[in-house]
Amino acid sequence: MKIFKLAAAAATGLALLAGTAMADDKPKVGLIMKSLANEFFQNMMAGAEAHQEKRGDYELLAVGMQNETDFESQINAVENFITQGVDAIVVAPADSRAMVRPLKKAMEAGIVVVNFDVALDEDAKKQQGIELAFVGPDNRGGAKLAGDALGKKLGEGGKVVIIEGNPGADNANQRRMGFEDSVAEYKLDLLDSRTAHWETEEANTVFSNMLTAHPDIQGVMAANDSMAIGVVKALESAGRTDIMVVGFDNIPAVGPMIEDGRMLATVDQFGTDMAANAIDLALEVVGGGGELKGWVKTPIELVAAQ
Amino acid sequence: MTLQTTTDTLPAPSRFSVRTVLQNAGIGRALLALIIFFSVFTEHFLTPNNITNILTQITINLVLAVGMTFVILIGGIDLSVGSVMAFAAVVAGKAITLPGFGPAEAIALAVIAATLTGVLCGLINGAISAYWALPSFIITLGMLNIARGAALQVSDAQTIYSFPYAFEEFGSAMIYGVPVVFLVALVLVFMAWFVLNFTVFGRLLYGIGNNEEAVRLAGQSVRRYKIAAFTICGFTAGIAAVVYMARLNISSPIAGIGFELNAIAAVIIGGTSLSGGRGSVIGTLLGAFIIGVLANGLILIGLSDFMRQMITGVVIIFAVILDHYRAKYAAT
Repeated sequence: MKIFKLAAAAATGLALLAGTAMADDKPKVGLIMKSLANEFFQNMMAGAEAHQEKRGDYELLAVGMQNETDFESQINAVENFITQGVDAIVVAPADSRAMVRPLKKAMEAGIVVVNFDVALDEDAKKQQGIELAFVGPDNRGGAKLAGDALGKKLGEGGKVVIIEGNPGADNANQRRMGFEDSVAEYKLDLLDSRTAHWETEEANTVFSNMLTAHPDIQGVMAANDSMAIGVVKALESAGRTDIMVVGFDNIPAVGPMIEDGRMLATVDQFGTDMAANAIDLALEVVGGGGELKGWVKTPIELVAAQ
Repeated sequence: MTLQTTTDTLPAPSRFSVRTVLQNAGIGRALLALIIFFSVFTEHFLTPNNITNILTQITINLVLAVGMTFVILIGGIDLSVGSVMAFAAVVAGKAITLPGFGPAEAIALAVIAATLTGVLCGLINGAISAYWALPSFIITLGMLNIARGAALQVSDAQTIYSFPYAFEEFGSAMIYGVPVVFLVALVLVFMAWFVLNFTVFGRLLYGIGNNEEAVRLAGQSVRRYKIAAFTICGFTAGIAAVVYMARLNISSPIAGIGFELNAIAAVIIGGTSLSGGRGSVIGTLLGAFIIGVLANGLILIGLSDFMRQMITGVVIIFAVILDHYRAKYAAT
């Protein structure tokens, strides 16, 4: 039995040592991203890494996913971060419901959790009995900015179609609803609304077919810029220059298209800074600042030709 | 088959056999029925513009499916073509945007880069599965991940853009309303048809699909032909990458996710047996048309995305059931 007591004492000693060592250390922040195959998150990750180097007063552990629907690896990442004893977890949830329970575990372990990019589901949060602030852009409001820009140009009765993101994805839903808000406000005529799964080639195909079915389309609202590019190419091959296109994300490839008028506008939600901003907020809470509450909105901006 | 099988007792060229005619006619009839259906029920289906659209839209799948036909004929499968296409497009995108080249050289460089990348991936697929006699399903599943990862790595997950104007023109060029990129695909179909039907190599591929052991006992190197089939499949993935780039003027590392399944569907709907040895590239052409016409027509009819996906699934299953009966017919 003696040996057990010794071992226990040693373990306690070690734990204490580790505890003090950790206190001296810089705070550890676990960053959980969505698919790094997506340009948007890749840039966000680069932004976070640059931010870490610039601040230098925290340690960054970043994890991405294989693809947009790989919830499993996000949940595993939360569990690993709990085991590693990070001080804060900053997470862009792949699913607004599935992530709530594992994050609750993290909060119970005393970890500061900041939810950014996509908001966790309100009902799911209530069900688990947790309160968690959301730091992120208003996807719906952003889409409405783009939709409004189109609505202003077309005026009442303008015939439009929507190219949606992945069905079921929260930001896809929000953006679709934002576009629909614009449709309602400007009394536009929504001819069709279809998904192209965020992808250029599919948007090209789907939109060409929509244009065949409705040659009188006047405006297109695409839920991201990759799909807007596909739409622009479809318009070029159909020889149509009278149709206006708006997108979302402001990826570099659409810059020239907005400049020469092939696209009317896109929306920048400053994705590069988004993770970095969320980390700042998390570190404030770790450093003893007050808790975050409600929705901390991050900037969005309409990008159109000058 | 007997032990003294030689190349000339392998199945006869299928070009004029009653069986082939019937096989293809079945799919041809299904396609015709679809076309009539959509022409009657939609306003714009049978317009020149829409036909041009359909031809453009099936091109990439058709190119991938031509290569896939070779692999499926020998009883293999290639799950990596979508990822390999993306990888080839990204490598070519890097090449075409290299500074210091004129448009013509840049385009030539891109085409070479894309096809070489495709060929290399196909060669690796074929060599590994042939050398160790491993199931191609799992080797190409590995390649699916390797190529996708490589595409993301090389491009840093960024979309590559701003290609020479001439490349763009090639992507949208038409000859009498027929997209040039589709003509490229048709040339591939014709070449594949010729190789499969009129060369010893082609007939041996059928032979391997039917009875690999017999071909081996006939003194042929099965391994070498298998590698060749996968390399051809990789090559067509490279060509598909060129078509993708010319059409959309970007190289996206996330392009082509799930394209392998569409290519396989085109081959199977086209009547090529998943267990190998039976089928034709003309069937694949018709299969690609059926998928493209369905995707196009169901949107024109105004069917929702979800219904559209369900119907496409039903058609695939229906095609396999049809294939089952064809196989029975062939056996009797």
